[in-house]
Amino acid sequence: MSDLAARQAALVEALVAGGPDPAGFDPARLDATRKALLRKRAGETAKHWPLLAASHGNRWRATFAAHAAGHEGHGALRDGWDLARALRAAGTLPTGAARELADREAGWHYGGAGAPRRRLRARVRTLAASARRRLLD
Amino acid sequence: MAAAADPAAGLAGVGIGWRPEIAGLVDGLPGLGFCEIVAESIAPAASSRGVTPLRGLRDRGVPVIPHGVRLGLGDAGGVDAGRVAHLAACAVAVDAPLVSEHVAFVRGGGREAGHLLPVPRSREALDVLTRNVRRMQAELDVPLALEPIAALLDWPDDELDEPDFLTELLDRTGALLLLDVANTYANAINRGQDPAAVLDRMPLDRVAYVHVAGGAEHDGLYHDTHTDPVPDPVLRLLDELRDRARPPAVMLERDGRFPPAAELRAELDAIADGTGLARVT
Repeated sequence: MSDLAARQAALVEALVAGGPDPAGFDPARLDATRKALLRKRAGETAKHWPLLAASHGNRWRATFAAHAAGHEGHGALRDGWDLARALRAAGTLPTGAARELADREAGWHYGGAGAPRRRLRARVRTLAASARRRLLD
Repeated sequence: MAAAADPAAGLAGVGIGWRPEIAGLVDGLPGLGFCEIVAESIAPAASSRGVTPLRGLRDRGVPVIPHGVRLGLGDAGGVDAGRVAHLAACAVAVDAPLVSEHVAFVRGGGREAGHLLPVPRSREALDVLTRNVRRMQAELDVPLALEPIAALLDWPDDELDEPDFLTELLDRTGALLLLDVANTYANAINRGQDPAAVLDRMPLDRVAYVHVAGGAEHDGLYHDTHTDPVPDPVLRLLDELRDRARPPAVMLERDGRFPPAAELRAELDAIADGTGLARVT
């Protein structure tokens, strides 16, 4: 790994995965960047999980940050899924968000790592619907 | 070179960043000069997700620019062949006059940063950027425009200031400049510099088109959020730009917390008025 590649990796680790601050950087600016990255992730996650975000109102960013700080993002779909499950386990998942999570889990299998996969019965329903459309068209 | 003779690559007028949330508003802009689509949000090879939402605009003859956000032209580990091919395929799928990406790195050590991060303004980083930009250009039949990002931090070993760094990068690669006046404003303010003085030293003869976006102050720093209104100082910097080199094409970027349509239309009008371009609303 080149020197710059190693230093880029160290900076990313410090910003998103709880790694130590790299030498020479302004700690306040590193902290501001960390918070900005979390705000951006919170906004993207809200688009994929609108009820989860809306049910937290103006506490959404703080709730998201409390869960996600120091953990690398895995995309908005998985980040929201992980948060919703953590809140459900803690007994603090609001009702609307619980329904949103239940709907997702009815159609998709997500094991907590890797991309969520469409459940077989949901796939069959989709195929049946498209076959019906072809027959009727 | 041809690109230098026509840095705008045929773009003209006022445009907007296409987002699904404002698709209806964008479709209803009669004079729209062009629009930008986030390259990672379309799948040019797949019919279902494909480029269907843009078909109406293409049918009207509105140029569409694929705008990459995850290629990582500043990644010292190199650019991924699949991502290069995707951006090139986007350009073909929408018959783009040019494509754009950022002067930034986005991942390292196998981790995704989740956003655009600054490279050190060093000779070593210039070599990395030059290599990656040339690799992308080799797959494109149209010009590539590079956008300097808004960054909240600087590396401790910067050797060049931002205008000199960008000028050298464009000289080395022949790439065009996608000038974001909100980024220029944000970086200047957060570094304690005068935005107009920074603008003076930018390679303005290489501008293909211009971005304008909103932002807000948090904890004493200006954040280029794309989810807030365009503040007056950013519009004033657009005036400063017009006084130096009238840009042929200027567009608004809004990524979230979308206001009522009337507010976005008013921002588009303010951008048109500030640059002497025709209103598109």
